[in-house]
Amino acid sequence: MTSPPVAATHRVFKVYGSTGHRTTALNDVSVEAGAGELVLLLGPSGSGKTTLLTVIAGLEKPTTGDVTLFGKNVADYAPSQLQKLRAGNIGFVFQTFHLIDALTVLDNVLLVTRFNRQPRRAAKERALGLLTRFGVEGLAGAYPHTLSQGEKQRVAVARALVNEARLVIADEPTASLASQQGFEIVRLLRAFATDENRCVVVASHDERIAEFSDRVLRLGDGTLVS
Amino acid sequence: MYALKILTAQPQRAVLTCLGIALCVVLMLFLLAVYRGVSVGSLEYVRSSDADLWVLQRHAANILRSTSLLSERHGEVIRNVKGVESASPVLFLLGGVERGKPGAQKLVTTYFTGFDTAAGRGGPPALASGRNLESDSEIVLDRSFAAKYGFKLGDKLSVKGEALLVVGLSSGTNMFVIQYAFITLNRARRLYGMKDVVSAYQVRLKPGAEPAAVRTSIRRALRDVAVYDRDTFLSNNGQEMRSGILPLLYTVAIIGAAVLTAILSLILSVNVLERRKELAVMKALGAPAGFIPGLVIVQAFCLAGAGTVLGTGAFFPLSRLVERFSPEITTRAAPVHVAIVIAGAVAVSLLSSLLPIQRLRRIYPLEVFR
Repeated sequence: MTSPPVAATHRVFKVYGSTGHRTTALNDVSVEAGAGELVLLLGPSGSGKTTLLTVIAGLEKPTTGDVTLFGKNVADYAPSQLQKLRAGNIGFVFQTFHLIDALTVLDNVLLVTRFNRQPRRAAKERALGLLTRFGVEGLAGAYPHTLSQGEKQRVAVARALVNEARLVIADEPTASLASQQGFEIVRLLRAFATDENRCVVVASHDERIAEFSDRVLRLGDGTLVS
Repeated sequence: MYALKILTAQPQRAVLTCLGIALCVVLMLFLLAVYRGVSVGSLEYVRSSDADLWVLQRHAANILRSTSLLSERHGEVIRNVKGVESASPVLFLLGGVERGKPGAQKLVTTYFTGFDTAAGRGGPPALASGRNLESDSEIVLDRSFAAKYGFKLGDKLSVKGEALLVVGLSSGTNMFVIQYAFITLNRARRLYGMKDVVSAYQVRLKPGAEPAAVRTSIRRALRDVAVYDRDTFLSNNGQEMRSGILPLLYTVAIIGAAVLTAILSLILSVNVLERRKELAVMKALGAPAGFIPGLVIVQAFCLAGAGTVLGTGAFFPLSRLVERFSPEITTRAAPVHVAIVIAGAVAVSLLSSLLPIQRLRRIYPLEVFR
């Protein structure tokens, strides 16, 4: 990786609980992820993958250590700046999709563009473009409950990309999908990283998606194993 | 847009909430309209009088809830005061009208107003039907009193065993808890054995006479009377009426507003709780600080707005229906009442948003990763 990292952690510890009931979720973790690459955080349940994702995204503060996002220490961002950063520069893909039931597919995708007040017409064109690219353009007016699991995750990926995110955080994006559907989703993320020179960080326990990643970082009990 | 879509995702709940709000709006409008109806019914008699001065017994300040006993002699003295054109006697008495078949009669209470038909002052402020009194054997009833107890024009009713013919039905004479009934002064005195007794004199002044000067002259001539100009007397009666009914009105209106706030707050809180995950997703995706509370406030305004429109629309036919079944209830709605209720709905919307917005603060974006 030659360009400066989009996201990085340096000697990060994350400890939950008080004295006597302390759980170390992250133990001296240092990672980097740059533009154009898909980094896979691989590990079993409870290994600290999701905690690392939330720390990288600025949703959670590390107990000690530094987190750098877009070249700036996360601790130096005000809460409102972090909110704007998430709305404008970070896309999220969740294990269970988390689409808003009351909104149509198109409105779900457009939701984040409202958060950073993007021009409506351009945002709509971009959203429809993504839905077309992911083969779900015919579902723009449909509601999430009418979609298959695979369709839901495609819509969720479109939502993550619609703000032209420089960083996409994907937490177990294939866990709720059948194998082929899961691979398709990872291929989409892979293509996004390569074609648009964006940074994608995926947390998963699925070894099979390692072949789509540029780097695999293995976690075990909060520690970076390899 | 999102707020509306979230609301309409649960159409039954939204409709039921609107109906609940509409009922509260109807209740509040109804109370305000009843208040105005009572106000008109209680004050119209004094307001419509062309008397320049009212003379009552000393320490009596109104005709609604005070006793005033004067005599014919007072009238003679007043008439001799410089500047007085006429002094018309009126006698107010609480009494019963007998209704029902002979042998099974019941008394219904009314506010008998005996007036001098020759002087022509002190009678009903307006007639809804029929005519005014022409003889001692006649009576004019308040129209809502007549409707409630089934009296019609031409009926003969009994007061203390004496028959009176209903010749007219008056309006503006319903005080809600009691209604006026007009009889001649002679008949009123005879019925209750109060020879020469008068409750008040309605005084007309000669053209050019100064009310303040005449007032002073009357008080100088009669030490045991109170003299009021028209505006003061109207104000006294208004104050008496308000002190009697306003606390009740306020209490019920406040309960109505509290129920309205509770309904809205509960529904919005349930919406927040049900959509907890979705709201956490919005926070994680970078929703600005005011976005989600804004959703709650917009929802509150939409529900309250729809409920207010529905309630206002339903109020007018409903109030007519109530008046039909309970004629003693007279409602008088005014645009200002609708404005008050709309302002109240806005306040309730904001107030009811507080609790759900407070709940929003305990929703964390990290919840979507669990």
